Amino acid sequence: MDTQSQVKTTAVKGTDTAREVRPMVKDIYKAAHEARENGKKVAYMMVASHYDEILRAMDIVPLPTENYAGLCAAKRDMDRFLLRAEADGYSQVLCSYARIGLGFDSLRKELGHIPEGSPDGGMPLPDMMIGSSAICDPRFKWYQATSRYLEAPTFSIDVVAPPPQADLNRVRDYYINYQKEQFQGLIEFCEKQTHTKMDKEKLWEAIRLGDKAWQLWYDIDRLRVAIPSPMPSQDHFSIMVAGHYYTGTQKAVDFYQKLYDEVKYKADNHIGVIKDEKYRILYGGGLPPWHTLWIFNYFESFGAVFAIENVYRGFDPVQVPSHVTDPVDFLAWRTWLRATAYHEKARQNSGNPTVEKLLGIIKDYAIDGVMFHACRSCRATTVGQTHIKTELGKYCDLPMMQLVSDMVDLRDYSEAQWKAQIGAFIDALEARTDQE
Amino acid sequence: MSVMKKIEAIYNNRGDRARELHDAGEKIIGYFCCFVPEEIITALGMIPYRIQGSQTEAIDEADALLEPMACPFARSCFNKALKGEYKFLDGFVAPHSCDTIERMYHIWRANTPSPFNHFVNVPHMMGPSSDAFYKNELLYFVSCLEEFAGKKLEIEKLKDAVNLYNHRRAKLRELYELRKENPPRLSGTEITKLLVAGMGIPATEHIELIQEFMDEVRKRPIPEPDGLPRIFIWGNEIDDIAFIQLVEDCGAHVVIDDLCTGTRFFWEDAPKTDDPFDGLVQKYLGTHCPRSLSTQVGEREEDLENRFGYIRQFTADWSAEGAIFYIVRYCDTCELEGPDLKEYLAKQNLPVLMIEDDYSTSTIGQLRTRIQAFLEMMI
Repeated sequence: MDTQSQVKTTAVKGTDTAREVRPMVKDIYKAAHEARENGKKVAYMMVASHYDEILRAMDIVPLPTENYAGLCAAKRDMDRFLLRAEADGYSQVLCSYARIGLGFDSLRKELGHIPEGSPDGGMPLPDMMIGSSAICDPRFKWYQATSRYLEAPTFSIDVVAPPPQADLNRVRDYYINYQKEQFQGLIEFCEKQTHTKMDKEKLWEAIRLGDKAWQLWYDIDRLRVAIPSPMPSQDHFSIMVAGHYYTGTQKAVDFYQKLYDEVKYKADNHIGVIKDEKYRILYGGGLPPWHTLWIFNYFESFGAVFAIENVYRGFDPVQVPSHVTDPVDFLAWRTWLRATAYHEKARQNSGNPTVEKLLGIIKDYAIDGVMFHACRSCRATTVGQTHIKTELGKYCDLPMMQLVSDMVDLRDYSEAQWKAQIGAFIDALEARTDQE
Repeated sequence: MSVMKKIEAIYNNRGDRARELHDAGEKIIGYFCCFVPEEIITALGMIPYRIQGSQTEAIDEADALLEPMACPFARSCFNKALKGEYKFLDGFVAPHSCDTIERMYHIWRANTPSPFNHFVNVPHMMGPSSDAFYKNELLYFVSCLEEFAGKKLEIEKLKDAVNLYNHRRAKLRELYELRKENPPRLSGTEITKLLVAGMGIPATEHIELIQEFMDEVRKRPIPEPDGLPRIFIWGNEIDDIAFIQLVEDCGAHVVIDDLCTGTRFFWEDAPKTDDPFDGLVQKYLGTHCPRSLSTQVGEREEDLENRFGYIRQFTADWSAEGAIFYIVRYCDTCELEGPDLKEYLAKQNLPVLMIEDDYSTSTIGQLRTRIQAFLEMMI
């Protein structure tokens, strides 16, 4: 591993708008610090829990702790937090996002202040912690463990999804009812913490802004079917900040509008990420390697562009029935519709919603190969990748590869191993092109 | 044949009895973890079978289909299924106990489907709305199972099944009472064999076995005091005697546990309720598994007491002098729970050894030194 590649973590972006994300990331933590100074409430929270708009409607400043772990990795300042959590008894295979968060909070408790030089000024103490069972287990359990290091009221909600084989007509009502009650419980918790009743009009407004931003985000991704690719996956891993960390705000809408204009211009004028696009790659799944995002540029050096990805995506837009007039009902319905969007397709074909989604992407985006990233400490996005790969192989004949490391823990990463695997993958892409 | 020989025969040849019943025309429904009510399966005239792995067999075939960073217990179970060792299962039921088991449902179903396959969604949050949701999930499970069984569930039969399993739970609690003796007349290794054997046979047969074993233990002479430390074991799936035996071989008595394969699945009864489903909800959602999140109560100390008070009761009532955690690697919820429980037990002046392992007898030997050192420290 050469020195230069060890230091460099970020990737060269394909769009100008993606370069505007870095200040937005800094603002997340700045806003949280300012909120604490001004008496506003700050909440540790989990993004993509379908509750983001509730926090916005209640003027609670969201502090996404997973994102902070990613930031630490991108800054290559994760080891002190990981090692601290491990010294406190947390396993080296526990979710490394959680380990960084726990390690950070542990160090802060010991020092009595934010650890020196923490990326972007560190996270301030939260007034509350709000977890969720959406996506994975650590996301609802992590804050319970955090109570070892700080005293803050903690709450978590369930986010439920039926399996694709379920009779949706039979289970729909009780799934939606439960989801609504979970959101309702969260609102009551937030009202207690803020001593303010939630204003349903403000919630509607946050939902409207959230949906508008996510519709724009979806439209941007649809523009990415263009050949050559106008925006690569490394940009996605930056621009997702607006969708996930600024959900329900005008800032996210404005950002995506600007990005949409830029991507549309590039698509209309056939301006690609690289000059000679030979292969279009799908990032099939797994959390991104925040410690080594430059790897996308390494692929590009072989003419391979990541045209699209299947992680940290916005949900496809859904149509909540018009009879739903209460915003909390709306959130419950929206959650249900998002969770079951590919179920019908799955029942008719492969039986697996993720496979169906990826098959659609492969066709629409003229994909030549698929790459997955297996993260040693992430069960939710890793377990099942091999299965998905095998199932995909039954329906399409594409080179596929699985790189293994971790989303933030560099100890699980081997540059030499990756470069060897990537070389073989490029050879397979080339051979396929020759055959055609 | 002595009762222990009978237990060992079943323990060593898990699946044989279920296979025999399957061949005789009975329907065997395999399930994972502690969240699928056996009562429902029994009431519909079928036989529940708790799916187990093997700590002695290498995981080979599953490696091609399942990532190595998945729970090795689940990988081992799947490995056995791929090798055809679960062909006797007429049904496969996976609860949403954790991320890996949820994925397991899809992967298992796609690769080794049973005639009946079902997923029971289990809420992670505790509270009234979770109860209602889980009850609906159980009712949906019943309707799917009825379709498969070709008959309707009779409420009286369900109540009978509740009584049957409560009876077994009572017998197991009675058996555990014998472990309060110092030194106990029965070992943790024997208990593990009896519990694991019971997971693969009809409850009626297991009850007979428990009774017979208890009768035999009661006839054993009272041993002389030996001064060996009394150990509480906490963790997840221990369906092999290797680890418990190692602890006992190192010079200790394993006297009480909080394990998926131990008290966690049988300690609490399903209360008798007008609607038996309400009792089932109370029992199964009340399972003390780290995958379930109880609502925060007060500040840290009060909250820990709310979460772990039952363990304090266990360790006090069984006079445990030390605790050993055996966490099967990649269990995120156990990995997050362990340090909290360690802190709580430390405040009770109970020394703790926390072990994370690969669900394999090949690594058990390496733990000997750590366990010996821990036990020596206690003396």
